[in-house]
Amino acid sequence: MAAPLVPKLLRAHLSDLASNDARLDDRGQWDGRETKLEIGVLPRAEGSARVTMGNTIVLAGVKFQIMTPYPDRPNQGGLMCSCEVRSIAGRHWENGPPSPQSIELGRVVDRGIRESGCIDVDDLCIIPGEKAWQVILDLHAISDDGNLFDAFALAGIAALRNATIPAERFEIGEDTPLKVSKTPIMCSYHKVGGRFVYDASYREELGGDERIHITLGDDDHVHSLQKGLKGIFTADEFAEIMEHAKSRCSELRDMVNG
Amino acid sequence: MGGYGDVQMIDENGLRMDGRKPGDVRPITIETGVVPVADGSCRMTWGTNEAIVAVYGPMEAHPRKIQRQDRAVLDVTYNMAPFSTTDRIRPGFNRRSREISKVTADALESVVLLELYPRSKIRISIEITSAEAGTRCVGLTAASVALADAGIPMTDLVVSVASGKINDVVVCDLNKEEDNYGEADLPMGVLPNSGELVFLQMDGDLSPDEFKQAWDYNIDAAMEVHKLMVDALKGGEN
Amino acid sequence: MVASTVMKGWPVARLDTMSRESSADGPRDSRRALVVVPGEDLGVSEGYEAGHGVLVVDGRLKSTKQGRMNTKGSTVSVEPLHTTYMPRPGDLVIGHIEGCTNNIWFVDIGAPFNSILPMSLGPAKVEFGGTRKILDIGDSILCRVQEVEETHQSVVTMKGLGLRKIKSGALDDVDPHLLGRLIGKGGNFLRDLKLESECRIVVAENGRLWIDGDLDGIFKVRNCLKEISLEARQVGGVN
Repeated sequence: MAAPLVPKLLRAHLSDLASNDARLDDRGQWDGRETKLEIGVLPRAEGSARVTMGNTIVLAGVKFQIMTPYPDRPNQGGLMCSCEVRSIAGRHWENGPPSPQSIELGRVVDRGIRESGCIDVDDLCIIPGEKAWQVILDLHAISDDGNLFDAFALAGIAALRNATIPAERFEIGEDTPLKVSKTPIMCSYHKVGGRFVYDASYREELGGDERIHITLGDDDHVHSLQKGLKGIFTADEFAEIMEHAKSRCSELRDMVNG
Repeated sequence: MGGYGDVQMIDENGLRMDGRKPGDVRPITIETGVVPVADGSCRMTWGTNEAIVAVYGPMEAHPRKIQRQDRAVLDVTYNMAPFSTTDRIRPGFNRRSREISKVTADALESVVLLELYPRSKIRISIEITSAEAGTRCVGLTAASVALADAGIPMTDLVVSVASGKINDVVVCDLNKEEDNYGEADLPMGVLPNSGELVFLQMDGDLSPDEFKQAWDYNIDAAMEVHKLMVDALKGGEN
Repeated sequence: MVASTVMKGWPVARLDTMSRESSADGPRDSRRALVVVPGEDLGVSEGYEAGHGVLVVDGRLKSTKQGRMNTKGSTVSVEPLHTTYMPRPGDLVIGHIEGCTNNIWFVDIGAPFNSILPMSLGPAKVEFGGTRKILDIGDSILCRVQEVEETHQSVVTMKGLGLRKIKSGALDDVDPHLLGRLIGKGGNFLRDLKLESECRIVVAENGRLWIDGDLDGIFKVRNCLKEISLEARQVGGVN
């Protein structure tokens, strides 16, 4: 990813907006963009979802493979989350080996889902020590207008929740829905013009500083945190965004569980 | 009508398993403006194929060594998403994708007025999100619609269709099952306004007569598909 | 056959060649021009000039773009629905400084190739090694295109009335071919927008706008730009 030029004027304007409690697109500090979730959009995937947040669009697809369980965990299957942001998603994204940015994206989403324990890996075992299901969640960005993290996390959990284990195709019994017991949700906050805002757009990301990603499970348990990019924040700032994350996560969770 | 192994793909009335006549193409939808951050874009579904194409540019060509002093370069990438097939595709370098990217670029370079943009680059990203059979044709056709949507000047749209042979019968636009038992495949890229060709591949085994039939099916189908492309670009006007 | 044909005129719609019949405030759908697509036949070429987006091939006019066909006098052209800015000498543009050496600044002017601003055409005299003190990376400038070579090497200048470093306000973009609509007949639309928003608005020909004023005003201008862009990209858009 070639580092895009950040016009100083944009940074100055963003901080001017922030001190007047305004944002580039006239949203409030804690307002998200219009969010749309569509399920089962990919005919070849065993579970899939498309999330549209303003002009940000992402796809998530679930595939299954047979794996040999790891020797130290013979009764467990696996979960893998892979993310590739390719050149289709924006002028500033380039093809080639996955960039650190796109690896970070995949790993943060992966941790949130994995650590929530929403998928019981013991349940994925077919023959202990020999055969188990590996669940692979692939995240694919179509259009990046900022905040790919939240879009990926939302599409990811929604795709898992409507996935079917294709046992018939592998000739090991009947197709069954993948059991997903919890709904971890991520909310991301960017420091723009000196204050944190929810769901930053691309231009806000461009002219902003650090970002914080929070994944909350059912009952508001924290499952993953990540601070990215250059910047310094205070404990009070963190407490404030945590409060907002609790209410926003539960709204989005209702959307997924809908 | 002969069989191929014990699989019969054409019934006694000459219809195919999905009810199509030999010269029919699968259902197609075309939509533009689907990647809001791109200069031009297109989503095309063709049977259960789905391709999403975004066009960026013309823009400064980086790295500098790819620049051409007399014209623009097309940077085409064709990629199948990991979840686009029955068995997951591992992301990363892939010789098949590289070849298709190249022949797609060669086809499009024949219609885009590259000499208007020296030293710049036009980036065309083709993502196959669902693959059935004939994804290279869908990708190329969708790319030409996306280029038009981006306002890139070109002498014509490109329509790409493939015909093939199953059970010794020549048919147009093979679907997944037919492709698995196909005995030949002839994808072509047609300029609908002049009938000229910019893309041609073939593999398999066709007699001269069968080849002629496959060729004619492709040209006829291309004209049908072109109407849909024009409709999509005009948004139902005129 | 056509690959060597050179398009007459310039490949980008420009203020001076655009039809101005369509002002953004009036009803325009009564006689909307035909939408054409690349490769479409537009009739015999005899007696007609090929304008923007049109080629002559074997005695026929042929569209090379998706857009609305316009016949003005004997010139047939296609007004595109989307364009990239192509610089021409004399254009007023807003650029961002991308980099510099001891005697040159590299300027992003939103075109398919970037431009250089030599020290001799800069805003002030530079001491050796002091290039960044005058214009730093990330600064935005109001400048004019000095020259564009055939191979697209281009030079901008800051010598001229009103050309300067932009220090306040906000920047926004709009597709270059929509500037005609934004400015309006005789500049009416832009003048009204300035009055209503109480902002200073400088419209550069590369589709970048400098808006300076209070935030409410900037929002007004921005909303107006959004409407113009949305409306223009709609084909079949009488909904």
